[in-house]
Amino acid sequence: MKKDKLKIGIYELTGCAGCALLILDCENELVDIFQAADIQSFLMAKSDNIDGELDIALVEGSVSTEKDIEELMDIRKRAEIVVAIGLCSMVGGIQGRFCDEKEWKENFKKVYGDIEMTHTKPIQSKPIDAYIKVDYYLPGCPIGKEQFLNFFTRMLRGNPPERYPQPVCVECKYNENDCLLKNGILCLGPLTSGGCGAICINHNLPCVGCWGPVEGGNWTSEYYLLKEKGFDDELIKNKMANFSGTKIAEVSEQLIK
Amino acid sequence: MKIVKLKKENLFSFLEAISEEAELWAPVQKYENKHSFQLIKDFSQIDLKYTRTILPPKKLFLPPTFNMFLATEQGYEEDFSHATKKILFGVHPCDIHGLLILDRFFQHVFDDPYYSKARQNTLILGLSCWPDENCMCKSTNTHIIEEGYDLFFSELENDYLVWIGSSQGDDCIRIKPGFFDEDITDEDIQIYIKWQNERDKAFQVDINFVAMPDLMELKYENPIWEKLGDACLACGSCSNVCPTCNCYNVLDKPLLNKDTSEIGRCWDACTLESYSEVAGGENFREKRAQRLKLWYTHKLQAYISKYGKPACVGCGRCASTCPVDINVQTVAKALEGKDMDTFWNRLSKEVTK
Repeated sequence: MKKDKLKIGIYELTGCAGCALLILDCENELVDIFQAADIQSFLMAKSDNIDGELDIALVEGSVSTEKDIEELMDIRKRAEIVVAIGLCSMVGGIQGRFCDEKEWKENFKKVYGDIEMTHTKPIQSKPIDAYIKVDYYLPGCPIGKEQFLNFFTRMLRGNPPERYPQPVCVECKYNENDCLLKNGILCLGPLTSGGCGAICINHNLPCVGCWGPVEGGNWTSEYYLLKEKGFDDELIKNKMANFSGTKIAEVSEQLIK
Repeated sequence: MKIVKLKKENLFSFLEAISEEAELWAPVQKYENKHSFQLIKDFSQIDLKYTRTILPPKKLFLPPTFNMFLATEQGYEEDFSHATKKILFGVHPCDIHGLLILDRFFQHVFDDPYYSKARQNTLILGLSCWPDENCMCKSTNTHIIEEGYDLFFSELENDYLVWIGSSQGDDCIRIKPGFFDEDITDEDIQIYIKWQNERDKAFQVDINFVAMPDLMELKYENPIWEKLGDACLACGSCSNVCPTCNCYNVLDKPLLNKDTSEIGRCWDACTLESYSEVAGGENFREKRAQRLKLWYTHKLQAYISKYGKPACVGCGRCASTCPVDINVQTVAKALEGKDMDTFWNRLSKEVTK
């Protein structure tokens, strides 16, 4: 009954490497993970990495250099299933928040001046699905341990991963927290993908949106609600844009309405 | 029904005596003016003056998330670890009514073993209360309770009148017979009647629920639903905090390097977008306005038509939870044609400006 072990590769493009680190941080399960699958490539965990054919490629980080594009294209060619893990890969990450190319160029110049990049050409940060077809997404900044193990086990059994269609508020109420938004605190729970267990609000800190925009979030209503609660227009838009990556383009249209 | 009297100073000693072999759960202050039913280890934590808890008692019978069973290659092993022996003290009449409605959903046609087991293992000790600006239980006629409890404590000046509602309740009284006085004086009765009259006058909300099924029908296509839909944050909190909302989802959690899976269950809510999504990605109620209409049809129309009373017990949790002022009170008033100062009304004016 047992098939050959699934060949899996874990890759990092531009990002903080936190998602790959999180996988490595599954210390109690790490032996199980390496036993259950044939981990072909995982730069953070091992040195004998093979760039061959894969059943599943997990890609962390956004595409922000031409070298990233090449690497990504190569991964797509070799892998049957490509999974975007983490917010950078899904929506472009914090570094993907500027959508206007002109604005991006100005910002780049402000930071780096007229420096000539030698080994690769930097480009505006974008999610990986701007370049390749992505089969599944795993939200989070970084992804969650339980979420990853659940995803990994499901994939081993040939089941598609779970989706995260509900906002943070759902788990927040499961934990019987008081609503911060109702109390006049800038909390992005209703606009953000749940699955994190509402960990920040459990500690009385507002949601900053690190799992990325939830499908069907009502940005217009929350925007006016925050304005009514006295928050500055620019602050609200900045907070909303922080973890929304290139998705903020769609959202901004809603806000202008 | 037997009614006895307990001196206030003996309450905690009594609770201590009866909870030797069961967990005692009671209202505890979690945030400023926000309470929660919690497992009691220290009696001084119990807040007898609370108004409402953030989550209703349903969390103890069907927790927000729990494992129903472990699926193995041989079959399945049921998991009833949530259904420990409990005494739930301090339940207000509205919440007892909420449990009676859940009984209808989970026990009357098909028996839900996870609910029933926890229900059988829990004693309900009710407590009288005083309304705040969000309490609507007089309008829903759930401020009075005649069944659904083992003991009910009505607060007088120095004593509690204790209604014994079941043989198990009676067994509890017999653990500490010396605490209870069967001699209820005329004076006690006068104090109780006075309290009841004053409590009834203290309600600030008055909604004609009898008229709601007709109003829902008449206003089914009314633009008010679009207004509410524009403001709704689709967070699902109204459903999660509602003592009568009972929808759930079932999730498989496969275990790494084992041939077993935990089959879990979690609260779901028709106000969430994912709720009406089916295989293939179709969604029957993609719009927030449609989902709110469903929720309110259930609370204010369908249940009344079928059982003669609303599926709202007037606890006011939706009102104290929704950040954009969508709750039974504001929706009912809007259906009655009132123009209110609510966020959803202001937003509609702002957006159409």
